[in-house]
Amino acid sequence: MTVSNFKRSLRREGYALIAPLTLFLLALLGFPLVVDIVYSVSRVGFENIRRPELSGFGNYAKAIADREFWSAAWFSLRFGLLASLLEVSLGLALAIFLAPLLGKRSWLMAILMLPMMVAPALVGLMYRLILHEFVGVAPYYLDLWFGDSPAFFSNDNAFKTLVVVESLQWTPFALLILHSAYAAISLDVREAAALDGAGAWRRLVYIDLPIMAPAIAVTFFIRFIDSFRVFDNVYTLVGAGAGGATTSMSIYIYQAFFKAGDIGLAVAASMLLLGGSFVILFAVNWAGARAARA
Amino acid sequence: MGRIRHILAGFAALATLGLSQAWADVTVLGWPGGPEEAALRKAAEAYNAKAADADKVKLIFFNRDGFFDKLAADLAAGSKDFDVNLLATYAIGRYAPFMDPIALPATAKDVFGEKVLATMQYGGKQYGVPTDLSLHFMYYRKDLIDQLMADPAWKKRYEEISQKQMGKTLDPKSPDDWNWDDWMATALFFTKSINPDSPTRYGTVLQMKNLLFNMMVWHSTARSQGGDWMDASGKITVNSPAFRSALELYKKLYDAGASPKDSTTYEYAEANAAFGSGQAATMLQWNAAFGDLDNKDKTPAVAGKIGTAPPPAGSAGRFTHIHGLGLGLNKASEHKESALKFIDWLAGADAMEIYAKAGGSPALSDSLTAKMAADRPDLVKLGQYAGQYGFVMNGGTAAKALQVYELQAKEFTAYWSGAKSIDDALAETDKGMAELLKP
Repeated sequence: MTVSNFKRSLRREGYALIAPLTLFLLALLGFPLVVDIVYSVSRVGFENIRRPELSGFGNYAKAIADREFWSAAWFSLRFGLLASLLEVSLGLALAIFLAPLLGKRSWLMAILMLPMMVAPALVGLMYRLILHEFVGVAPYYLDLWFGDSPAFFSNDNAFKTLVVVESLQWTPFALLILHSAYAAISLDVREAAALDGAGAWRRLVYIDLPIMAPAIAVTFFIRFIDSFRVFDNVYTLVGAGAGGATTSMSIYIYQAFFKAGDIGLAVAASMLLLGGSFVILFAVNWAGARAARA
Repeated sequence: MGRIRHILAGFAALATLGLSQAWADVTVLGWPGGPEEAALRKAAEAYNAKAADADKVKLIFFNRDGFFDKLAADLAAGSKDFDVNLLATYAIGRYAPFMDPIALPATAKDVFGEKVLATMQYGGKQYGVPTDLSLHFMYYRKDLIDQLMADPAWKKRYEEISQKQMGKTLDPKSPDDWNWDDWMATALFFTKSINPDSPTRYGTVLQMKNLLFNMMVWHSTARSQGGDWMDASGKITVNSPAFRSALELYKKLYDAGASPKDSTTYEYAEANAAFGSGQAATMLQWNAAFGDLDNKDKTPAVAGKIGTAPPPAGSAGRFTHIHGLGLGLNKASEHKESALKFIDWLAGADAMEIYAKAGGSPALSDSLTAKMAADRPDLVKLGQYAGQYGFVMNGGTAAKALQVYELQAKEFTAYWSGAKSIDDALAETDKGMAELLKP
């Protein structure tokens, strides 16, 4: 067999091996995407869900012209950025601070991961009880110690409460990744820096953090995606909020789909979100490739 | 060997138990997590004890949050997962295309009366059996109101507060005689931040969450001032003095601190928790709350101390929102004959007696209600209030009625939370409703 025949045969084998997964993904992701594209350019509700009427790009225009679409996008952006910044910062601080302890007793990590194991919807329900003025633990003790407790869910405070609840649940995720990244830093590098007279702070700033930078960036990116598309805990905790104050993009799409029964608008909004995500993804990739070339 | 036989017999018994459930051919989707669920379970138990195996029913329940959204999706998809499903007066228009009209037994008229049967009708057809009637009571602390009426020092303070906060001197009255000003004055009196001697922290607890059901609670206020969704010609009439003053009433109470700070996220459960803790003196709430609030195991702080009155009167009279919950037939059901047997049985006096004694709130004829008066005194009032004060907004059963409630919830809660002016909220609501309710 010649080399080119061999390469061709290897290629055919490769295609055959990935074909089942590709077909599965096409069916699972591709078919819904095609249906979404059709729905996004149709007049469709529950009554004619199997017989959408094509209507052009009116749904896209409606979503773009809707003030609430942009308000939801802004809420999701702020929430995503703030929550992921908080989670990564706390996760990083804990990864470094707890490194000696976790190094000796790695089983402690399983306990620290527990908040992540709780379904987000349940977390929302849980905090609805914990923060309730009359039956909640937090207001009871705040009232006892300080004579008052804040209105956790008022329009002024709801956003901050949601960010804190989200961060409390997902900081362990950041901790897990950053702890692994911190533990992977070679001791030789630290010892060499120490021998050169670098103190703990300089070793952290000039050795540890630069080496961990890719892990920090990836963790932030993953948490941002997750927080941006938040639904469960916000919906169960405060719903869409008074006047739509806590309406995230996911809640906006949910409301348009189920409450208003405007399926075309809901799908168009989600397609706009998908498009926006691709733009950001390409921008990040381009910036990363440019930095690598430099 | 004997032991093995016993063990096998035990397994067989367990299997039979499971099989009797597995033989249940009719699946009923009910309203979850409250007295309605408890009552339906008892009724289903009683029905299954006598029904043929092929007619037995099994119950399923969605989550309360998003219930109607999930039901809409399932019905639109032609789901066969349930044969009988929950229906509500305000949602019949939405679900009627996916359900079959039914013909209840002739005796149903004697059990429920025409008005109550009409809560499950749409386009002149019957779509369900009305298992529960929902309306609102003004709940109040009998002990505190009694003291207010009898204590001269409290009366004097009440007059001072009403003059200072409302610009007029009012005297305490029995809740059965309240108008909205009396309620406001009472709520302010029992608010600790206004009256440091108040035994309760708050005078009332308002349900101001952005939620369609909260609009139904609030509507009594607007209606009693003469408000309606549309006039006879179909013109939207929410941008009106009646709606305006009803909205302002809630806003004044919330801004004055008469309702808990987190009221903008409160609905049924949170409001009950607040009132049940003994820290709110009054509450406009669904009738279904009475059973739990008056239960000394569940709410010892207030059980036995609760009074109920109809919502206060406005310039146009005294009104309470009314709607029915019921069970109807899924068009996609593959067990229609058996399902209809259950629905017909449920429409009978015996079934409704079981349902009511287990916590449900059916609006029954006077004779049936009298039989249960000792166990369920609230059902007597339910029937009376439904007849005397019940109303449905013009357009309240339209195909897009749910969307109208959602729109009002969003706009009006924006005003209450201070995010929008009342003019903007009313204008946006008017515009949205004109679109939703256009013929």
